[in-house]
Amino acid sequence: MEGIANYLDSLIGGVDLTFYSITIGGLMWGLFVLRPWDENANYNNALLEKTIGLIYFGSKALVITQLSKIGLKIWLMAVTLGKSPFPAFFQTVQFQAGLARAAFAFGLFLFIKHSLYNNTRSKQHWLTAIAIIAPLVMAAAWLVHGASRLEDRGLLMTLTVSHQLAAATWVGGIFQILAIWRLKKRNAISVELWPLLLKRFSIVGIWAVVGLLITGTPLAWYYIRTFQGFIGAGYGNLLMVKIMMMGLALGFAWMNRQAVEDYFSSRSLYVLTTRVPYYIEAETLILLTILFTAASLASQPPSVDIPHLTATWEEVLNMFHPRIPRWESPTHEALIAGEAGRVAIVGQVPSEAATAWSDYNHNISGIFLTVMSFFAMLSYRDRFHHWARYWPVGFMGLGVFLFFRSDAESWPLGPIGFWDSTFNNGEILQHRIATLLVFVLGWFETRARVKDDPGILPFFFPLLAAFGGMMLLAHSHVGFEAKTAFLIQVGHTLMGVFSLILACGRWLELKLDSPGKNIAGFISVFALFQIGVILMFYREPLY
Amino acid sequence: MRVLKPLFLALTLVISNLAFGHAVVTHNSLKLKPVPVNQASQVELSFNSKVELDLSEVFLVSAGDVMTPIKAIPGEKPGQVLLELPSLIPGEYAIKLKIFAADGHLSEDLLRFFVKEAK
Ligand SMILES: [Cu+2]
Repeated sequence: MEGIANYLDSLIGGVDLTFYSITIGGLMWGLFVLRPWDENANYNNALLEKTIGLIYFGSKALVITQLSKIGLKIWLMAVTLGKSPFPAFFQTVQFQAGLARAAFAFGLFLFIKHSLYNNTRSKQHWLTAIAIIAPLVMAAAWLVHGASRLEDRGLLMTLTVSHQLAAATWVGGIFQILAIWRLKKRNAISVELWPLLLKRFSIVGIWAVVGLLITGTPLAWYYIRTFQGFIGAGYGNLLMVKIMMMGLALGFAWMNRQAVEDYFSSRSLYVLTTRVPYYIEAETLILLTILFTAASLASQPPSVDIPHLTATWEEVLNMFHPRIPRWESPTHEALIAGEAGRVAIVGQVPSEAATAWSDYNHNISGIFLTVMSFFAMLSYRDRFHHWARYWPVGFMGLGVFLFFRSDAESWPLGPIGFWDSTFNNGEILQHRIATLLVFVLGWFETRARVKDDPGILPFFFPLLAAFGGMMLLAHSHVGFEAKTAFLIQVGHTLMGVFSLILACGRWLELKLDSPGKNIAGFISVFALFQIGVILMFYREPLY
Repeated sequence: MRVLKPLFLALTLVISNLAFGHAVVTHNSLKLKPVPVNQASQVELSFNSKVELDLSEVFLVSAGDVMTPIKAIPGEKPGQVLLELPSLIPGEYAIKLKIFAADGHLSEDLLRFFVKEAK
């Protein structure tokens, strides 16, 4: 069970940040964007109830998440240490700050339920809600890296908490906008409100981004320090990925802002209702992935602490060096024979076969994806469309391939049973989930592309791709060989970013009209091609 | 405002407790000071953060991956841990750490070393 505990423990950080953002960001939205106590604000009750409803949901979810987090931690320690973590665990800050967070979230939950819901336009009530939640925001300071430093603790903790606050303002605001879009679609709010709130939020959004940069830059400097720390260690790598995704999110934010400005000069709602909502949906996918990456970043040791374990940029670049893909696999016997030496602690013998086996798996998967992306590109031409649109069948083939190949020491090829291997090893569990995902993806997407009226079926593909990207980014582990693990991580995080682009592109292709539709579709397929190329040239360091 | 008072009280309880982050070994004495043959010794480790020793486990791994729990005591400086090694015959060994850092991350680490007869 250690595998599941470990895996859930690494995912729950992202879930926690998501609900945190919905709650805190929702309150910021009320305070800075909506301002329902203003005399000339003519919001109807539907809008205010929706806004508060979302914050209410966030606070409830935050309580549950926070308690689950503590529960998971206890479980993880019990299975890892093989003994009860009590009473020592009660003494940890983890437990105390965690419990305090849950308590403040519960306080907000009660306050909204019994008071704010009945006084939606009262400034006093909104401010009280902020006051209740302020300690929750601060409590987080004791759960981050900053608290661990021997110098500049106060500064680092303050910066981190402000960073979280700025992020929550952005993400929470985006969730509020999505909720308002649903009201707008049902005509439950007045027409002019949609552009007005978008405009107000774009200003708050800019401040949030400024806040993110002002707080994030010194933090990054403090924890990374050197170019090598940025390029050659897990912490720096995840930060780089975060910056890339932030760039994508800002791209969408910029397009939205353009659209809002155009509206106020032309008074045409066309772009604001046919494109902007979908840009925001894509932006949401990106922001959620950033939150999961941020949670994963928090579990990495800062680069500055492990200078002896960072890779050089040559070593990093070498991971992407083109070469002829390995297309011959070592035999299963050779692989199994090398396993004992590979996993031994004392007297370890690196296994050539294990490395070759893994390279083969990655390279062949890469060939699958590259070929598929080629057919996918063809399917956009009328001449080839009829048969090339079956390209997602490749995913099903890939799923079958991975099922046999990804964990050779377990069933069906190896001696360890299916259930035993699935639930006792975090890595195998992830592989199994990924394998199943790939197969289901192929099945759904083929149907979606072939059927005349596929309904909601086409949306599974971008959602699953986004989820897959999130999995690649959320779970990065520092193993015993920190440097080797890092070099493997580099390729995988980059693939995570491309799956996110794949997901957003396909989502927009389904939602937009021409010409945006075609551009998005092509970008999506191109991202698939990129993933294929990374996998095709993937080479595992020997260990 | 009556609600807020106990909440702030709870917060001060939280604040009064010191916390430290994700633990990795930044320095160990194995490289500078070889482990002596047939003689109990002490290994000094420095972490980048405070570790909860009550919630951590340290093993000596010897040939055939035999694991023996060893005692870990806090050193003088923050983040310092002292390990009590039993007397060891020449050969390859490793120290396996399961360390719970105060920021809630359970990290594992492995330090390989040799015990050699003096020349
Ligand atoms: Cu892989």
